[in-house]
Amino acid sequence: MNPAAEFLRQSADKSADLGHRKIIRWNIGHYDKAVDKGRTRYADWEAARERSAQIKQEAVENMDKLLVEFEQKILARGGHVCWAENAQEARQYIRDLVVARGVKRVVKSKSMVTEEIHLNTALENLGCDVVETDLGEYIVQLRHEPPYHIVTPAMHLTRTQIADLFRDKLEGVTSDDPNELVDAARRKLRAAFFAADLGISGANFLVADAGLVAISTNEGNARLSTSLPKIHVVVTGIEKVIPRLRDLGVLWPVLASVGTGQPVTTYSTLIGGPKTADEIDGPEEFHVVLLDNGRSELLADLEQRDALRCIRCGACLNACPVYKNIGGHTYNTTYQGPIGSVLTPHFRGHDFDHLSYASSLCGNCTSVCPVKIDLHHHLLQNRRNSVETDQRPWTERLAFRLWRWMMMSSTRFRLGSRLGKLGYRITKKLGLDPLKPWTAYRAAPDIPQKSFREMWRDGNV
Amino acid sequence: MSSRERILGRISSALKQKSAPLPFQPRPMFPPVGDLAERFAAECKSNYTECIFTASAAETQRTLCELLNSVGTGDVFVEDVSELRLRVNSSRPLIWSSQQPAPETSMVTITGVEALIAATGSLLVTSDCGGRRGTIVAPVHIAVSRREQLVPDIESALALVEKEGLPQKNSYIGIVTGCSRTADIEKLLVIGAHGPKRLVVIVEG
Amino acid sequence: MARVLRKIGFEIYFPEDQTCCGQPAFNSGYWDDARAVARRFLRVFDKAECVVGPSGSCVTMVRKFYPELLGGTSPELSKFYEFSEFLTNVANVDDVGASFPHKVTVHDSCHALRELGIKQGPRRLLEKVKGLELVEMPHSEECCGFGGTFAVKYGMISAAMGETKSENAKSTGAEFVTSIDPSCLMHLDGVLRKKQSPVKTIHLASILASDSNSAGAQS
Repeated sequence: MNPAAEFLRQSADKSADLGHRKIIRWNIGHYDKAVDKGRTRYADWEAARERSAQIKQEAVENMDKLLVEFEQKILARGGHVCWAENAQEARQYIRDLVVARGVKRVVKSKSMVTEEIHLNTALENLGCDVVETDLGEYIVQLRHEPPYHIVTPAMHLTRTQIADLFRDKLEGVTSDDPNELVDAARRKLRAAFFAADLGISGANFLVADAGLVAISTNEGNARLSTSLPKIHVVVTGIEKVIPRLRDLGVLWPVLASVGTGQPVTTYSTLIGGPKTADEIDGPEEFHVVLLDNGRSELLADLEQRDALRCIRCGACLNACPVYKNIGGHTYNTTYQGPIGSVLTPHFRGHDFDHLSYASSLCGNCTSVCPVKIDLHHHLLQNRRNSVETDQRPWTERLAFRLWRWMMMSSTRFRLGSRLGKLGYRITKKLGLDPLKPWTAYRAAPDIPQKSFREMWRDGNV
Repeated sequence: MSSRERILGRISSALKQKSAPLPFQPRPMFPPVGDLAERFAAECKSNYTECIFTASAAETQRTLCELLNSVGTGDVFVEDVSELRLRVNSSRPLIWSSQQPAPETSMVTITGVEALIAATGSLLVTSDCGGRRGTIVAPVHIAVSRREQLVPDIESALALVEKEGLPQKNSYIGIVTGCSRTADIEKLLVIGAHGPKRLVVIVEG
Repeated sequence: MARVLRKIGFEIYFPEDQTCCGQPAFNSGYWDDARAVARRFLRVFDKAECVVGPSGSCVTMVRKFYPELLGGTSPELSKFYEFSEFLTNVANVDDVGASFPHKVTVHDSCHALRELGIKQGPRRLLEKVKGLELVEMPHSEECCGFGGTFAVKYGMISAAMGETKSENAKSTGAEFVTSIDPSCLMHLDGVLRKKQSPVKTIHLASILASDSNSAGAQS
């Protein structure tokens, strides 16, 4: 089934699922409260948004210079940098490394880019044991599911569901007390950290002037994944680069603020390379894989270039009433919610145009985006692009041709309205429901006897 | 042509068209930090860090003793630096960072810090603070610091990082704010995920 | 709307040649078709000094999207107003002498709220209505789910959003939900009546046109 049809089916199912609706509302309700509280730490939140947008825009507008600056610093410290044009090249580089070093056990801290390139499957096919160490990612990994949300991957699950899962897969779980569940995961994953040959992480930011990779977690899983194994590989999109270390003074608090409502994420980590000769611990090898995979093409689209500012905070997902009803899995893409709907046609083509139509264009996403991406406007532009590249069904094109013909003349407009009303009454008498797409979910609207136009003509206004 | 050249070529080509610059009227985002020590203490309370002020090296030493008594069995790992050699005095066997990296069996690590960040109740640490492991691997982390190490906010901490040339010396630099935690289960906060479950900061002076 | 404007002293005229602002085509990505209809729309109102419409989404289309659709800006676009903003910002009127003794809650329509900045205006007007008890619903700013063709293309999602909005409205104990956008109201009305809810919908203009001599007419 094509992605658009599959999406229609799944979104209808999920929207009707009241249990799902309840748990998502519950989780997002918590998020909203936390973010509102976190917002009070700012004297001027709009100033923070404007400054964040400005920093990220500067980064996007100077992407080539900044990436080269970053690369030079990493190389100077004995790190390696791989430039991957697409998912296949990124996977190949990491596969070659794994084979060359005899890697068997891999630990991962959360990286949406590794989902984008389907890295886990590639490594498992090589016989590696790959363990996700972010708790939410670990949970969905145990369930053989993709992440449900780019920041909180297991947001769709209740604690009972997680407890049942852990009781099945882990030791020492007797209740559904979250403390006990986290403890059980900690014990299991600690062993994985210490036994791993390779740690793979993403990056929240790549700092150009200092040549550092910035990774934020609350759990500390990225700290352990990137410190204990002999090799550390960072997989990141090229758009993560920012100009200065000082910029993190703005971006780190903003990311935490809209991501989870915290002042700053518990472990805000900066890594510049493998361990130095003087250091007592740390990886001996350090690699950064810079992934393009459609980003440079989006850069060339001047209208939508600002989408590359995205810091993957998840605020737009939480703000979106459509996301709240259909959930993350329904999108069937790596990136969900409004940013996912904007980006995916650019990264994966017109098969995913339908995501831009599955929106009421309410604009809440744009109003919460900390880097001021014009999200809902881009959805509209994606729709226009879809029409202008001939992706739309001929029935729709015809319908709008007809609509235009009618709207270009008030005579035709009035005639059309009158015929429409008449046709509606006739078909209803015949027992048909011409407004079925509407009335499947709502009562039919009352058609007034006389329109305002008619009343005006009659002098009755 | 390599992938690198192709990617950079596409980027440069795309950037021949520039976006309109974004206006920004410079203005403060945050309210003033206030008294650094007071603010630091208040923030520690919010993020579940135990903050203990001491007046002298002797008092720090006593505090460390008490803390080590309160912590369960397991290795005690200490950053090998003169300030800690002077202050860590325990009957428990100690593993110093000059001997080996912090072992998996560490129950508590004791390290110094590069700075304390008042606005967020955070520590600025590096791989010099007992290695990369020293500040993450044990269930209890005790950080020993001096009052004059307080800086107002993250931006000033990062300025310090630059001034001291830390990226040239350390492969890891980090800002640690409270103990390890997660809210991945029904958004309920659980303290103690993979990093320390208990973080104690001694501020001397 | 006409009744209220006349009541506060304005002379109104309805150009019969008008059809549509072009938003349906624009929102669906058919910008060529929208463009033709938009140009025609502006011609119809060419001679008007000031144009008032009872729909936040239509006025948004004209003021906020016509520049992009038609290229360049045009000073004449600023003469188009949504009804409530005309009253509060141009006519400088809060009290139109209306009477509507019912409990009412407001739904903030997306376009009006986020593109035109309309939020307090309708509330100020409602507060001056005799006998009206204004209550705020939780998440009044959340989209009702209409979204144009979205309502039909993704009917189930649209309905789910409408259900959430109608539950929020119901939770206030209000008798009426009002907004400044007929499309929101039509959608909510459909959802409410399908669920056989006691809450009714009414356009802000209808409330403002009500006085002790007439019952509130539904939009």
